[in-house]
Amino acid sequence: MSTLGWAQAWAIARRDLHRQFRGLRLLLVCLFLGVGALAAIGSLTSAIRGELDAQGQVLLGGDFEVEVYQRSLTDEENAFLREYGELSQGLRMQAMASTEDAAAPVELKAVEDNWPLYGALTLIDGRSVGAPLGDDAWVAEGVADRLSLQVGDRFSLGRTPLTVAGIIDEEPDRLSEGFSLGQTVIVPYEIPEQAGLTLPGAMYETKTRLRFDGNYDPNSVETAVEDAFPEAGLDIRTRDRASPGAERFVSRMGEFLTLVGLAALVIAGIGIGGGVSSYLQARRASIATLKILGATSKDIARIYTLQIGAAAVLGSVAGLLAGIMVTPLLATALGSLLPVGHALILDPASLFRAAAFGLLVAMIFAAPPIMRAREFPAMALMRSRVSPIAEGWKSAALPVLIGLVGIALLALVGSPTPGLSAVFMGGALVMLGLLSLLGMAIRGAAKKWPRPANPIVRAALANLYRPGSATGALVTALGFGLAAFVLLASVQTSLNGNIERSVPAIAPDYFVLDLPVDRVNEFTTMVEEAAPGSQINATPTLRGTVIAYGPENNPNVVAEMQEFPDGTWGLRGERGMTYSPTVPQGNVLTEGEWWEEDHAGEFLVSIDEELARAAGLQLGDIITVSILGVQKTARIANFRRLDWESLGFNYVFVFSPNTLADAPHNVAATVAFPSGTEPGTLLRDLARAFPSSSVIEVGPILTEARNILDQVALAILAAASVAVLAGIAVLLGAIAAARAARIYDTVILRVLGASRGQLLGLQFAEFGLLAALLAGVALALGVGIAWLIITQLFEFDWLPDWTEILAVLGAGLVLVLVFAFTASFPVLRAKPAQTLRSL
Amino acid sequence: MTSPPDIPFAIDARDLRLTLGEGDAAVEILRGIDLTVPSGQTLALLGPSGSGKSSLMSVLTGLERATSGSLNVAGADFAHLDEDALALARRGRIGIVLQAFHLLPTMTAQENVATPLELAGVRGAWQRAAEELEAVGLGHRLTHYPAQLSGGEQQRVAIARAIAPRPPLIFADEPTGNLDASTGTSIVDVLRRREETGATLIIITHDKGLAEKCDRVVTLADGLIASDSAAR
Repeated sequence: MSTLGWAQAWAIARRDLHRQFRGLRLLLVCLFLGVGALAAIGSLTSAIRGELDAQGQVLLGGDFEVEVYQRSLTDEENAFLREYGELSQGLRMQAMASTEDAAAPVELKAVEDNWPLYGALTLIDGRSVGAPLGDDAWVAEGVADRLSLQVGDRFSLGRTPLTVAGIIDEEPDRLSEGFSLGQTVIVPYEIPEQAGLTLPGAMYETKTRLRFDGNYDPNSVETAVEDAFPEAGLDIRTRDRASPGAERFVSRMGEFLTLVGLAALVIAGIGIGGGVSSYLQARRASIATLKILGATSKDIARIYTLQIGAAAVLGSVAGLLAGIMVTPLLATALGSLLPVGHALILDPASLFRAAAFGLLVAMIFAAPPIMRAREFPAMALMRSRVSPIAEGWKSAALPVLIGLVGIALLALVGSPTPGLSAVFMGGALVMLGLLSLLGMAIRGAAKKWPRPANPIVRAALANLYRPGSATGALVTALGFGLAAFVLLASVQTSLNGNIERSVPAIAPDYFVLDLPVDRVNEFTTMVEEAAPGSQINATPTLRGTVIAYGPENNPNVVAEMQEFPDGTWGLRGERGMTYSPTVPQGNVLTEGEWWEEDHAGEFLVSIDEELARAAGLQLGDIITVSILGVQKTARIANFRRLDWESLGFNYVFVFSPNTLADAPHNVAATVAFPSGTEPGTLLRDLARAFPSSSVIEVGPILTEARNILDQVALAILAAASVAVLAGIAVLLGAIAAARAARIYDTVILRVLGASRGQLLGLQFAEFGLLAALLAGVALALGVGIAWLIITQLFEFDWLPDWTEILAVLGAGLVLVLVFAFTASFPVLRAKPAQTLRSL
Repeated sequence: MTSPPDIPFAIDARDLRLTLGEGDAAVEILRGIDLTVPSGQTLALLGPSGSGKSSLMSVLTGLERATSGSLNVAGADFAHLDEDALALARRGRIGIVLQAFHLLPTMTAQENVATPLELAGVRGAWQRAAEELEAVGLGHRLTHYPAQLSGGEQQRVAIARAIAPRPPLIFADEPTGNLDASTGTSIVDVLRRREETGATLIIITHDKGLAEKCDRVVTLADGLIASDSAAR
C-alpha cells in the first residue's frame, strides 16, 4: 500500500471532476484566451514568413534584381549579369492613361517578352499569361473602371495607342514592387520609349531581373556585382529578401503580436493561479475527507494535478482550435497587405509553442496552490474556514522553476525574436514581483492603520489583512487587468495619433512628374484657367548618387565605406536632387548663408541639417555626386531644416542652379486647388497636352494609405483585445474568488443585524480602496509598456490621448466595482438561515 | 468478542498531550492521557463538550499529531510517523465515521464507499462498495449524490465507507447524534455487526443508552480521563 497509481488517481479525479468542473472555468477561460491568441498569432506570422520565403523568386520575379534610376543597365553591366543566367528587363514609372473622355494616373510597368521569370500573371477571366505583346496591355481593374474600358477597347499612353488585352487579377511580383501611386498597366518593354516617356531627365526606374542558370549564392553574386560596379548606384535585391518592406512589417507585427499573446498569457497565468486557488479552497473539505480515508499528500497532488491538468489541456485544446479558426479572419484583415491565403492555417510548430507556453504558465501558477493543499494536515483543512490554507511557496519551487526554465527555453529557442521575448518575460516576472510586494505593503499598512470606529469600515479594513485575505491576489489581478486596459488605450490612441499626423489635413491635390522644363509656363496657364487661384510649386528633379563627401583634402569615398553612420541614409544609393535660386518653400536655413539668385561661381550645395549632423559634415566641406554619369563637386554653403510633414517636395540636397541646370532634367510640380474647386476635365486635358508627363492624384493615395494604416490598427486592436479579455476574466475571477471567501462573513454579519446597505458599503470601501490604489499603479505600468511598444518597437512618435486613456481606466474601475457589487447580490438577497444551512 | 491474535492491544497511549496555538494563544486540549484498548473491545468515550473527546479521536486516528507522548495504534508507532505515513497507516486499518459525515459531495454513494477501497488498492472495489451499501440498506441509493440523501442515509453511507475496507479498528464520532431514535438504533446495529467480526470499536457519544451497550466506558473531563469502568 503506497502511492496511488496514475490510473487509480485518475479514476478518483475524474469522478470528483465531473460534478465540479464549473470551479475550473476561470482556468479554462484564461488558457483558452492565452493559448488561442498565441496560436493564431504564431500560425499567421509563420504562414506569412513561410510564404515570403517560399515565394521569394515569384515575389521578386527572379533570383536577383538590379534597379537603377533614369537609365537602363549598360551593356557591360548586362554582360556581367548574363554570366549568371537569363535576364529580363523591366521599367517602372508614373504615367497617364487616357481615352477620348477620361484620363487616369497609372503605374506603368513595361516588361520584356520573358517576363515573369517565375510565376505567372492571372487575368480575371482565369487565364495565366506572361508579358503582353505588340500593342497589347494588361490593365488593372481600377484603370478599366476609371476609363470605362473593356477587353478589346483602345486607350492611349502618352500618344501611343494600346489595346486592353486583359484585366489583371493577380500580379506575381506585386508585393516586391512596393507602395504604388496608381493602378498598374503592364505593357511591352518598348512602349515607354515609343511613347516618348523615357527622354533624358524623365523619372523612371529600370529593374533587371536575373534567373540563375546554376546554383549561385545570391549574396555572393551581390558582392561580385557591387565590386565590379562600385559607383554605378545599383540597388540590388535577392530572392531571400524579395520584399524587405513586407518582411520588416511582418517582423514588427509579429514581434508586437507575440508580445500581446505573451501578455495575454501572463495575465491569464494570474487568473489560472487565482482559479486554481479558489478551486482548491472550495475542495478543501473533499481533500480533508480523502486524507481521512487514507490518501497521502502524493495522492492528493496526483488527483488534483490530474484534475487541473485535464482542465488545462481542455482549455489549451479549445484555445488551439479557436486560434486555428480565427486565423482566416486575421488573414482577411491583413490579406491585401501581405501574401497569406484565407484558408485555415495549420502550423504544427506554432501550435506546439502556443500549447507548451500555455501549459507551462498553468504549471507555474497552479503548482503553488496544489502544493499547499497537498501539504496541509487533514484536521487543519477541516478547520480552514477560520484558519485558511497557509501561504507558502517553497514546496512549489521545483515545478515553478521547471516551468520558468521551460518558458525561457521556448522563448529563446526557435523564437523569431528571442531577445524581445526574453526581455518581456523577465519584465513580466519583475512586475509580478513588484505587485506582490505592493500587496504585502497594503496588507502591512492596513494592519497598522488605527481601527476605525465604524464597524463596517473596520471590517473592510480588516478584510485587507486578515488571515486568508485575498489582497495579494486582488492586487496582482487588478494591477495587471487595469494595466491591460491602459496599455491598449495608450497604444491605440498613439497609433491613431501617428496615423492622423502622417496623413495631413492639408495636402496638394496633384503631384505632376516629368514636366518638360520649357513648358512649365504653359502648364501653369492651363491649371490657372481650369482652377483659378491654384497654388503651383514647380521644382527641377534629378536623380544622382553621392560619390564622396567630407573635408576637401580628405573626403570619404562612399564606394570604399563598409559601414555608414546611423541616419546617413541620404548618402547611399540614388537620391532625388534639385537646384534652386532661393530657399525651398517650407524649409528653414539653420546655418550658413543662401547663395545669390544668379550665383555663377563655385558650385554650392545646401544639405539637410540632420543628415549633416549624422555624417559629421561641416560648412565648407565638399560633396561629389554623379548625375546621369557626370560627376559634379559642390561646396556645402549652408544647412536647412526640412518640413517632412508638408507633403510637398523635400530634397536632402539642393544645389545652386549653376551646378545642375545644364544636366538634362524635367520639373515636378505640386498643385493645390482653392478649397471647393472642381478641376473639371483638367486631368484629361493635361494628359493630352503633356503626354510624357504623369499626374498623381493625392486624394486616392491618402485614402489608400489611411486604409492600410487602419487595417494594421484593426489587426492590432483585434489581437490586443484578447489581452484585455483575459484581463477582464482575471478581474472577474479574482473578485468572484474574494467574494466566495466573504460569503461566510457576510452571512454572519447579516445574522448580527447588518443591513444590506451597510454590507454593500463594506464592498465599496474594500474594493474602492484597492481599485483607487491600483489605478495609479496600472496607469504607470500600462503607459510605460505602451511607450516602449510605440517608441522602441514601432519607432513611432508617442502621441497618446490622455483623456481617452483616463476614461478607459475609469471604465475599468467602474467594472471592478460593479462586478464586486453584482457578486454580492445573491448573498444579500438570500435569507441568512437558508445560506447558513448551505455553508 | 474476539481478538486478533497478533496484536494484543489495538491502542496503547501513554501521556498523550495536545496543544493548539502558540505562545499566549496556546490551548492545552489533551493534558496527559493514558489509555490501552485491547483488540476487539467496544469502548464508549463520554464527556461534556470541550472535554477533548473529538481531539482525542483525531490523535488516535492520526488526523492530528500529538504534541507529546507515545501512541501505538494497530501495531504502528503513531508518535513517530509523518503525515503521509499516518495516512498510509489508516488505509485499511482504521475506519472513521465523522459526526458531520464528510461525504464527498461530488461523488455518488457508491463512489464514496469505493474510494477508500481504491486508495487501499483493493480489487473489486466497485462491487464491494455496492455490497456494503446493500448491507446498510442503501442498495437502492447507489447512484445518488449526498445532497439527494436524507441525514440518516448519509450517515449510513459514511458508516459503509468506514467499514468497507474491513478495518480492525473503527472510530465513530456521535454516530447517532443527528438522528432520530429509530434511525440511531439501526446505525448502532450496523456498527455492532462489525464488532461481531472482532473489530475494535470506539464510539464517541453523549447517548448513555448507547454507551451502556459497550464493553467499557471512558469519561473525559478537561483533557484528562476522569473515569474508566466497564459498563457491562
